[in-house]
Amino acid sequence: MRQSAVYEQPRARVMTRVKRVLLFALLWWLLTEGRAEAWGMGAVLVVAAALLSVSLAPPVAWSLPGALRFVPYFIWRSLVGGVDVARRALSPARPLQPAVIEYPLRLALPRSRLFMAGVISLLPGTLCTEIVDDKLWVHLLDRRGDFQRDLGILEQKVAGLFRDENRPEEG
Amino acid sequence: MLIDGLSLLLLIAGMIFFLAGTLGVLRFPDVYTRLHALTKADNVGLGLIVAALALQAPAWAVVGKLILVWLLVLVASTLSCHLVARTAQRRGVTPWQ
Amino acid sequence: MTLVYLGGALFLLLTLVAGLWRVLRGPTAADRMLAAQLFGTTAVACLLLLAEADRAPALRDVALVFALLAVVAVVTFVRRNWRAAGEDLDAD
Repeated sequence: MRQSAVYEQPRARVMTRVKRVLLFALLWWLLTEGRAEAWGMGAVLVVAAALLSVSLAPPVAWSLPGALRFVPYFIWRSLVGGVDVARRALSPARPLQPAVIEYPLRLALPRSRLFMAGVISLLPGTLCTEIVDDKLWVHLLDRRGDFQRDLGILEQKVAGLFRDENRPEEG
Repeated sequence: MLIDGLSLLLLIAGMIFFLAGTLGVLRFPDVYTRLHALTKADNVGLGLIVAALALQAPAWAVVGKLILVWLLVLVASTLSCHLVARTAQRRGVTPWQ
Repeated sequence: MTLVYLGGALFLLLTLVAGLWRVLRGPTAADRMLAAQLFGTTAVACLLLLAEADRAPALRDVALVFALLAVVAVVTFVRRNWRAAGEDLDAD
């Protein structure tokens, strides 16, 4: 659904649709594994799906530099998270010291909050169980460590990715 | 073959993570700690297997498709991890201490 | 490499069967739901390996559809079986 409050410039509207067509063309290329003969039907479907998608899912503000900072951080930290939990699962002693902490969120946008709640589950030793008002409840595999600081770093990267203001919403 | 060797290493590493994920699900004391094990270990495992297969892929489009599959699984498992943990919490499942 | 892929797929199936023990055992419904996640990820990895071993690219599409369905399945499963009274799971 298009927000009527925001007036879209004609140029911006065209650009939005051009970007969507390119995105769907890329998806089609992946799905057909690059087969040339699939483009006959593909051309029609790509354009139709792209134009439909603009009204079903309006463009979301994000930042390319933010994404370039987020992706390597995410890949590295999720790898560390996997190694950490695998070590605990394989170790005969099964070292665990679970705890639940509260983390005060500064992110304002619902999508960046939900995104953060999801990503937390892949990072070392943390898992989001609940979002209550402006707090995240985070289950820890091992309470030793500065999780408030780690979560703060993650929150900054998420804010950068979604161009979030990084402070609570007012009104 | 260097590429084959690298693929083999990545595959074996991926298997170890899947094994660790299952062991965690079997050995860890409550649903929250089991979710930690499953979500983190299996996603790294799948990522490594995807990387091993991408090295052998016949075309760039196939590499892209493999990455797309991995991303979809990431979305599914983080979402389900959060939903299961949240529902367990609301149902009053107390975390193991 | 074909044998390696087949061996890998078999190994993954074995970890899946081991995981079944947790489904049977529970003890809570959440533990059983967690198994759905285990199945999703492992099945996708298996299919990708088999696609390569059999030179059957269509299996990659099956893996893709599995991954897509996993998102839908998880949300539906949680909504139907474990809905907390008066709460909407989409609200955050």
